[in-house]
Amino acid sequence: MAQTKNQPDLHTPGGFNARIDNGMGAMLGRLTRDRSVVRMLVLLVAAFAFFTLLRPSIFLNPLNLENIAVSAPEIGILAIAMMLAMLTGGIDLSVVAIANFTAITITTLYAGLAAGNPGQANSLLPLILLLGLALAAVAGWFNGFLIGVVGITPILATLATMQILNGIAVVWTGGQTLYGAPEALSVIAKTTIVGVPVLFLFFLLIAVVVAVLVNVTPLGLKLQLQGANPVAARYSGIGSRRVLTSTYVTSGLLGGLAGIVFIARNPTASADYGSSYVLLVIVIAVLGGTNPAGGFATVAGVVLATLTLQVVSSGFNALRLSAYEYSIAQGVILIAVMIADQMRFRSRRRKRDLQPPVPAAPETQGKS
Amino acid sequence: MTSSNPPTGQPGVPVLEVRNISKSYGGAKALEGVSLALQAGHVHCLAGENGCGKSTLIKIISGAERPDGGEIFIDGKPHPFMTPSQAIKEGIQVIYQDFSLFPNLTVAENIVLTSVVAKRSKVFSAGKNRPAAEHIVKELGLTLDLDKDVERLSVADKQLTAICRALVSEARVIIMDEPTTALTHSEVARLFGIVRKLQDRGVALVFVSHKLEEALQVSQDLTILRNGIHVVSGPTTGFDRRSLIKHMTGRAVNETRLITSPQLEERPVLSVRSLSVSGAFHDVAFDLHRGEILGITGLLGSGRSEIAESLFGVLPADSGTVEVEGKTVRIRSIDDAIRAGIGYVPEDRLTQGLFLEKSIADNIIAGSVDKHRRGPILLDSGKVSSSIRRLFDQLRIKAPNVLAPVRSLSGGNAQRVVLAKWLANQPKVLMLNGPTVGVDVGSKEEILAVLREQAGNGMGVLVISDDVPELVTVCNRVLIVRQGAVVDVLEGDAVNGTAIEELMAA
Repeated sequence: MAQTKNQPDLHTPGGFNARIDNGMGAMLGRLTRDRSVVRMLVLLVAAFAFFTLLRPSIFLNPLNLENIAVSAPEIGILAIAMMLAMLTGGIDLSVVAIANFTAITITTLYAGLAAGNPGQANSLLPLILLLGLALAAVAGWFNGFLIGVVGITPILATLATMQILNGIAVVWTGGQTLYGAPEALSVIAKTTIVGVPVLFLFFLLIAVVVAVLVNVTPLGLKLQLQGANPVAARYSGIGSRRVLTSTYVTSGLLGGLAGIVFIARNPTASADYGSSYVLLVIVIAVLGGTNPAGGFATVAGVVLATLTLQVVSSGFNALRLSAYEYSIAQGVILIAVMIADQMRFRSRRRKRDLQPPVPAAPETQGKS
Repeated sequence: MTSSNPPTGQPGVPVLEVRNISKSYGGAKALEGVSLALQAGHVHCLAGENGCGKSTLIKIISGAERPDGGEIFIDGKPHPFMTPSQAIKEGIQVIYQDFSLFPNLTVAENIVLTSVVAKRSKVFSAGKNRPAAEHIVKELGLTLDLDKDVERLSVADKQLTAICRALVSEARVIIMDEPTTALTHSEVARLFGIVRKLQDRGVALVFVSHKLEEALQVSQDLTILRNGIHVVSGPTTGFDRRSLIKHMTGRAVNETRLITSPQLEERPVLSVRSLSVSGAFHDVAFDLHRGEILGITGLLGSGRSEIAESLFGVLPADSGTVEVEGKTVRIRSIDDAIRAGIGYVPEDRLTQGLFLEKSIADNIIAGSVDKHRRGPILLDSGKVSSSIRRLFDQLRIKAPNVLAPVRSLSGGNAQRVVLAKWLANQPKVLMLNGPTVGVDVGSKEEILAVLREQAGNGMGVLVISDDVPELVTVCNRVLIVRQGAVVDVLEGDAVNGTAIEELMAA
């Protein structure tokens, strides 16, 4: 960890120091980011070792490992979408709803076409997928419009979008599970390259693309700056409308891609698929070192956090623990990591504050 | 506390005394071996330049910061661990520059609320507490409308409200942080009248100021700090303006003008005509030429900052025209201003100017991201790092490397980062609001040198400031703003400290 010197400005009247101290809280975010990747790597290895030791035969079974690799992508992609929104200091509660909405749209269109003419449906598949993604982008744009242009708080704007999309999905499907998702997708999902499932490679590809977006594009830089300090961003001429709209369109698109992964992995679609994902995805994003206040996040951290939770989930399966116990574990891991951050932060602070008073020399009035 | 204790000049046990206080932040020493004794009924002036440690000392006295070393005595009794609530209980009250009032509450409520809270009352009754407010206002002979919302008061009345509040809380020590910065001459005179009444009540006052005449006029005792070191203490009568300046700056004051007289082009780079923003300023008109440094000054609240914010699109003008290089530009947003070639180094560096948690590199590039593209999507990382490197070196930012977070920098270096951000954008007109506020003396001169250099390279520079020596040393011309109107323009030899101060506060 880089040593962060806390050296406030000593040269201003009017509460400079006080403000620096108030801002110390924000430093938590920095420390989190610096360590997040290493920390997640350690946690991942530890979790893996732990379950390997407890249940080597089940846990190290290639099928189990493949299972982790196949179930991680959808959650991971959603977590990356969440990370992007959080990077701007916002949140996107609607990503899972967007994913489901995309999945349902694609399934409905495909099944409708395939009922008449399977060959045509297959040849139109790319178009159908694009249409699904376009809808996802529109939903994301709508979020961006509400947040960046209208000025609604992200959590409320995306909550509304989530409710609308979930509602539409239920009305549309009548609450039924839809069958008949494109088989071609399932075939691709089952393919492996050198033993690695294609879905997992797809996930890594998306991670790399988003990492490039965040780190070496003008948009990515603006997005980080917007999240780090929206006021200074405004005074630096960074157009928040454009940045926020682009961000939520991107997170919507990622939601759409996750929706495609949904139906590739499991050729059905329903309005309530992945209903527990929203909070899980927030947990993963934060575990991965995303500062919920904005400005800092690493894609690598989020990828590792995704894998860690998948390992824990699969380990719990191996131990025959239930999804509820897994949910307890998620909460505990999140709190533990946050406490670890806090403790390190507080001890640093205490050291700074409680330097023992130097014994005072007597009477030094009026040195003139 | 009401026992009258007129200033006698015969110090008894000090109400409050600090001895040999030291405090450092990180590696930087803010205070070292500072001592101060406050007598009841005396005004003690704490003087020094920006950054000399005045604020830190106040924070230590009020319990907001804990000293690394030294002792605090109240009525001769040691208080090794002072906390803010303890300080208030002992009757130590600080009136900060922003007064810390609740703008949406009335004067009466503001006056009594803190003392009610301090008494841990569970219920607040406006009726029951109002007499206390009335009493104090009458006692000081003020004409304050108790039922007016504080947000609708003038700066001076807000200050009086804060003083009343301190007295209701049984203050024995009142520390006023730069109380006259936003006041006109007559308001300052009224404040000094109140100060004398407070003295008669036996209150010990600390008057923090860097305005020398005031310091000499109002105080009985005087302490001067410089760079966190206790330079001198003694009765005010032992000092004059010249010796004060010498103690404060450590050298004879340098108010020499260091300006060039550029060959002005016929066409101004920025031309403003009858610019108005209702409630802030009206009919502002001026020209700024390439190579020129133009000062805009006035008291706090005179409209000086609003003029700059309007030109930067933060506060779009209601009427008037702005021309940049002869072309009329409509400035409705910051984007418009930047596109027109106007840059702005804002007053509030911490929130408006900097991304504190981000690296120096990110901060420098923040304003010119789109000028560093390669192709439609990617950043040109080579160009980015060379720009950053160039500005980092050019402005001599003192940091281990460009990846250090801006939070770790001193005020002077942080301001250079903001400056670098704008230079990266190569604006035609650069406006700076309080360019050297919170900046140490050495950095200050370097920053001003950068402004001269940029002007020399053909930029039009607008300096909004109330730092008179700064205006004198760097500006070709100075506009004086009073109550939202440009009342005077000083030029050439007319640009001098006394003239500016007179016109500002008239």
